[in-house]
Amino acid sequence: MRSRLSTLFDALLPVIATLAALAVGAVMLLFLGINPIQAYGSLWQGAFGSSNAFAETLVKATPLLLVALGICISFRGDVINIGGEGQMVIGAILATWVGLTFTDWPGWLVITLSMLAGFVGGAVWGGIPGVLKAYFNVNEILSTVMMNAIAVQLMNFLLRGPMIDPSQAQLASKIPQTARLLDAFHLARLVPTRLHMGALLAVILAFVVYILLWRTTLGYRIRAVGQNPHASRYAGIQVPRYIVLALLLSGAFAGLAGAVQVFGVNYRMITDGSASGFTGSAGFNGIVAALFGQLHPLLSIPASILFGALLVGANSMQRAMQVPSALITALNGLVVVFVVSSEIWRHKRQRKRMAVAAREEPPPPSAESKKPNQAEAGA
Amino acid sequence: MDTNTIIIGLAGVLVAAAPLLFAVIGETISERAGVTNLSMNGTILLSAMGGFAVAVTTDSILLGFLAGAGIGAAVALIVAFSSITLKQSQVAVGFVLALVTRDLSYFLGNPFMGLEGPRLPAWDIPLLADIPIIGPLFFQHDLMTYLSYVLILLAWLWIFRTRPGLMLQGIGERPAAAFVRGANVNLLRYFYTVLGGALVGLAGPLYSLSVKAGWKGTISGLDGIGWIALSITIFGGWNPARAAFGAYLFALLQWLGLVLQPSMPGVPSQVLQVAPFPLMILTLLLVNIGDAEWVGRTLAAMPEGARRFFTKLLRAMRASPPAALGVPFESD
Repeated sequence: MRSRLSTLFDALLPVIATLAALAVGAVMLLFLGINPIQAYGSLWQGAFGSSNAFAETLVKATPLLLVALGICISFRGDVINIGGEGQMVIGAILATWVGLTFTDWPGWLVITLSMLAGFVGGAVWGGIPGVLKAYFNVNEILSTVMMNAIAVQLMNFLLRGPMIDPSQAQLASKIPQTARLLDAFHLARLVPTRLHMGALLAVILAFVVYILLWRTTLGYRIRAVGQNPHASRYAGIQVPRYIVLALLLSGAFAGLAGAVQVFGVNYRMITDGSASGFTGSAGFNGIVAALFGQLHPLLSIPASILFGALLVGANSMQRAMQVPSALITALNGLVVVFVVSSEIWRHKRQRKRMAVAAREEPPPPSAESKKPNQAEAGA
Repeated sequence: MDTNTIIIGLAGVLVAAAPLLFAVIGETISERAGVTNLSMNGTILLSAMGGFAVAVTTDSILLGFLAGAGIGAAVALIVAFSSITLKQSQVAVGFVLALVTRDLSYFLGNPFMGLEGPRLPAWDIPLLADIPIIGPLFFQHDLMTYLSYVLILLAWLWIFRTRPGLMLQGIGERPAAAFVRGANVNLLRYFYTVLGGALVGLAGPLYSLSVKAGWKGTISGLDGIGWIALSITIFGGWNPARAAFGAYLFALLQWLGLVLQPSMPGVPSQVLQVAPFPLMILTLLLVNIGDAEWVGRTLAAMPEGARRFFTKLLRAMRASPPAALGVPFESD
């Protein structure tokens, strides 16, 4: 009974962490002389107050969910993919190129090909750090961060040069952006809102990733490598191959997120010189959403919606209550810190519980022969 | 290119490498103690902004640098508290802090965007500055650049030639052994993490008050430097001397990129901006390749002479992190 309560507590921990962060935020709001109840009320109104507001929340949640799905795969394989931003950018570039090149092809075909191009682009950008980690021992945190920087400069170069909007190329302003995609290539929208097909695609893919991770050999091996690479090696799994696959798939979903963002929301690529100008930091926030969803693809759906809501709601709170934007950032940061910390705490509790359970188990009849083994496992 | 241009250029390399040195040696010290401060990228931005803001408001360069060091120490204290006391993942906490501090610096720095601020004055060292070639190369810079030379030497001597430095190595390599020898492992880890953070924090104002003077928000050109510093730390094999070599090499490559750009008009400017990143990946690859399984197999298949040569080469490039890096210590 007690352990069931404990499990329930663990499952609710991210929610408790979010509430705690919001409580700290409320204290900061009080110090600024802003009524926190009113402020959070406007946050709620902005995120869920009308069907249009809720649609905006889902639009923001879509790239978060797609990135989070990839993160579920890579973190389960014990590879930390921080390259979501760069992978989104590369996926978006490839998809945009497809969309701007094959202009006389039918819409459904171009959209399908573009999404595939985004998937492949992200896979390449994730696969490179994967190969570097698996075969050259290069730390994937550092290499994915560097791949982000390379992707941003590649985007800046392409949008100022080869891929620039022909009409902008003639103007003096030369805004670094691509031409607009043909109307036929836009992802279908639920008018009058901006909610597009990409959201549905992301939810479907969440189920696909769930099946991949828990119902296929590939997923089993990725998880096995993540849990214990040494044991996996002795079980005959080619560990390096699955490290590469974990990062490659992770990048692919981020790349798809970039493609969906272009074809569903922006209809063109435009750069302000940074990655977050295009991604809205979804490549980073997706990590948080995945951690919030306990690295489970299906739990990542509500987690992404929550963070989408925080993003949209914080905007309207800022407008309605004149809350300084620095506080909004601090609030988002607080939620992130609280959630990530609680996640680590949960892991510790889990391990402790397992240790306690192992200790309380009655010794098997052949206790003498088992003992040395246990000691070895503990060491 | 005549000799004079080269000397001025190389002197510029020494100045440009100074902030990197503070960051890299700071990180080296805290990682030697067993704590990775992954927040460095954001910390440098926040301390650059904070240091600039304080220097502009108070018109005091000294206070600007102190503010930078304070910010670095404060962020490091968060890392230390969560990893040493709360025993949480350093990677997770550090990464989140890297994002939060970066965003904070952009938002809080808004009122100071593009303001005219004080600049660290040049200060020629008497006598030494007058030596031909050597003088303009090493001794006609600012105080912080001189301090960066001293810092390399001091850090190296401290870690490898003193008794407390031996203890520092101990708490990062074998905390249990250091504990038995009477070291208060966690207190020392706190101390070195915060000290390292303060050094990292000096890098920020050194950029915003000297090397890249001013605060220009997202276009300050500082985003990414912390990650480079982190790779140089690894390249440096947690040795201040080798890390300094890495920092100077990086600054030299950047300068060469700038110098060579006019002679290569066909190459877009982004190529030179981005060049450091693939180069850093390559160095990380070279440093780590010796540990890869297939390399060992390939070496074994080589003829005797080639094997000996490559083994030696790989061993020279190789760098292993302190054994207990990122592992919390419990004295039970």
